Amino acid sequence: MAKYPFLQEASDYIQETKFDFAEFDRPEMIHIINRAVEKLENELKGKIYSNLDEYEIEIMTFLVSLLLIKSIGLEEISKKCSLFEAMRVERFLSTDLSIERSQKKKLLVQKIFQELFNINIDFDSTSSICKLSIPDYLLRASKMHEQEWKLINRSIKDGYVYLDTDEAVRLIRNELSNLIYTRIKNMKVYEVPILIKSKADELRKKYSGRYVYRNQFKILEYPPCIKHAMEIINKGENLPHSARFMLATYMLAIGKTEEEVIEIFKNSPDYNEKITRYQVEHLAGKKGSHIKYSVPSCDRLRSEDLCFAVKECENLINPIQFGRRKLT
Amino acid sequence: MNQIEYTNENIKFLKGVFRKYYFENKYFPYLYSIEKREFGYRKFDSLVVRHLSFKYIGELVAELVRNVPLDVYYSNAYYGFPSNPINEKQWEGADLIFDIDIKDLNIPCFHEHAYYICNLCGFVNSEQKLCINCNKGKTYDISIPCKKCFTAIKKEAAKLLEFLRYDLGIEEKFIEIFFSGNAGFHFHVNDPSMRNLDSNSRSNVTDYIIGNGFMCESIGVRKYRNGFMIKLPKSGIMNGWRKKIASSLGINQKSELKLKHLVEASGGYDGFRNEINRITKKFGVHIDSQVTNDIHRVFRLPGSINGKSGLTKTKCEDLESFNPNNDACMLSDSEVYINLKTKLKINLKNNNFKLDNVLEKVPSYVAVYLVCKGLATISKNQ
Repeated sequence: MAKYPFLQEASDYIQETKFDFAEFDRPEMIHIINRAVEKLENELKGKIYSNLDEYEIEIMTFLVSLLLIKSIGLEEISKKCSLFEAMRVERFLSTDLSIERSQKKKLLVQKIFQELFNINIDFDSTSSICKLSIPDYLLRASKMHEQEWKLINRSIKDGYVYLDTDEAVRLIRNELSNLIYTRIKNMKVYEVPILIKSKADELRKKYSGRYVYRNQFKILEYPPCIKHAMEIINKGENLPHSARFMLATYMLAIGKTEEEVIEIFKNSPDYNEKITRYQVEHLAGKKGSHIKYSVPSCDRLRSEDLCFAVKECENLINPIQFGRRKLT
Repeated sequence: MNQIEYTNENIKFLKGVFRKYYFENKYFPYLYSIEKREFGYRKFDSLVVRHLSFKYIGELVAELVRNVPLDVYYSNAYYGFPSNPINEKQWEGADLIFDIDIKDLNIPCFHEHAYYICNLCGFVNSEQKLCINCNKGKTYDISIPCKKCFTAIKKEAAKLLEFLRYDLGIEEKFIEIFFSGNAGFHFHVNDPSMRNLDSNSRSNVTDYIIGNGFMCESIGVRKYRNGFMIKLPKSGIMNGWRKKIASSLGINQKSELKLKHLVEASGGYDGFRNEINRITKKFGVHIDSQVTNDIHRVFRLPGSINGKSGLTKTKCEDLESFNPNNDACMLSDSEVYINLKTKLKINLKNNNFKLDNVLEKVPSYVAVYLVCKGLATISKNQ
């Protein structure tokens, strides 16, 4: 339980001990609060906090960490700490699944997969290989951008994906991170203990500057997939629907106005202003579902034959990353 | 695209034959959960009607007999409210559907039975360029698939079936294979465990079946400094695509040294990658990935007439013995005069037709086929 303080058992433990948040203001709790601060600072610096104490301490530290993150109130900090907490858990899970560990520990991990993520996973008792169903695998792996996670690069037989235990654990990292993030977001704290609040204020002051004015870029050159689509349009030839979707979402994402995007499509042989306007406004999130559509990933474009990668495309996961320079 | 020449005789004739078919074949045994599906159809003037829903097969048949559409579609998705606008339908999952088509196989005989029809005057040209009749229209091609084409597409379908059964582990009872009614096959997978896959997950499946994105590292060849190194994956190389490639290269889990020699012989990491690409192209299946990845698409309804040919989308119980031009040709035998735009030979319902004259008297199923393909019109003088 010390390694996995997000389990139901941990919440039960806190309830059973009838612990009150006000108790955090007592002097003997200072070392727990300091430990939680140390852990958060590690995570904000991009390091995994690897110290492991007794389960009472770990559960309390986890609880204080959540309170601190909630009180800091910065989205980026919540996300980063959730991810690093997930990576910390990932390490423990990997160790508990190694061949030499007892069957009991493996059963605990199996329980975590089942209870938290609804994944049935079978661990081989004699090797470090486990198997899970293809749909369970796909729903998680399809959110990962590295090509090694594509189904084609996996060992597959009769509807199951065979993974080594490190890979199985890595597969749930994002979900675990989301789980912790959701817990933070849904926490209802009416009164944060004074000591925790003052520590949260200090941390906010220290780290908030790092998370302002990010993601401002200038595009210096269009990626080859977009250039290719533009060439076809400019020649007055027909672009397939998927390419039009790519082109419009890309142009909107780099900040072109809807009018400018509509203008691009004017040379299409089947151009109809009313339909184009509706579709562009729809993609921009101003019509229909009011959801702004994202630019399809490079992976998606490859599978739709819309990718014309050049050397500069290496390691990109979305065309939007191509040829951009950070604005200072 | 609708290739039918829009004349009164053509439309009246086709509507009559289609209406009779829907009146006599009102069962649609492969349509499941009708109340959860969105329906749509294409009218003879090419307009598409969507967002329809029916509670019972009888309601659907009544609509088809009343309005007689050219093509009938239904969603692969299951919706809480199928007739609502798309963002209010409440998506509850979707069957996994695969589409393979003769035109994607690049079969060499394609041009031997292709016809190039003018998009303005309907004239049948012998080449794909500006129409020689009106000098204005562009030509589009249509094809009458031959025996070789069907043999090739059935072989491709058998490959797809193998992927679904043995790699993805889908039970036979969840896979239904349909001849599309024109030039391909549709595989409908209604396995409940696959129903909730999102579009990205489906795209991952299509890449697997096509053979897109296999990395040399997956079979143990890694880039190392200026060269490469061999390190076989812990999860082995004897399953899935790894096995297909390993077998093709003649290696197994113990062949590290042989693999090293093979990589060297192909000119190092990059050369080996080209070799891998060649193998994946050979073993992959030519499916249309966009069809499978779309979770809100409408598909031709099994048991409905394909407006591109007049053949029916038909369940195929045995791929090898299935004869599309016979088994999917279900329209009437009553004879009718047609005006042919070109000489041609065709086999339908196990009968050979050699049509050399401008005016020919043919069974209705032949007339429908040729009118739908844009190669004939119904004669004014019957």
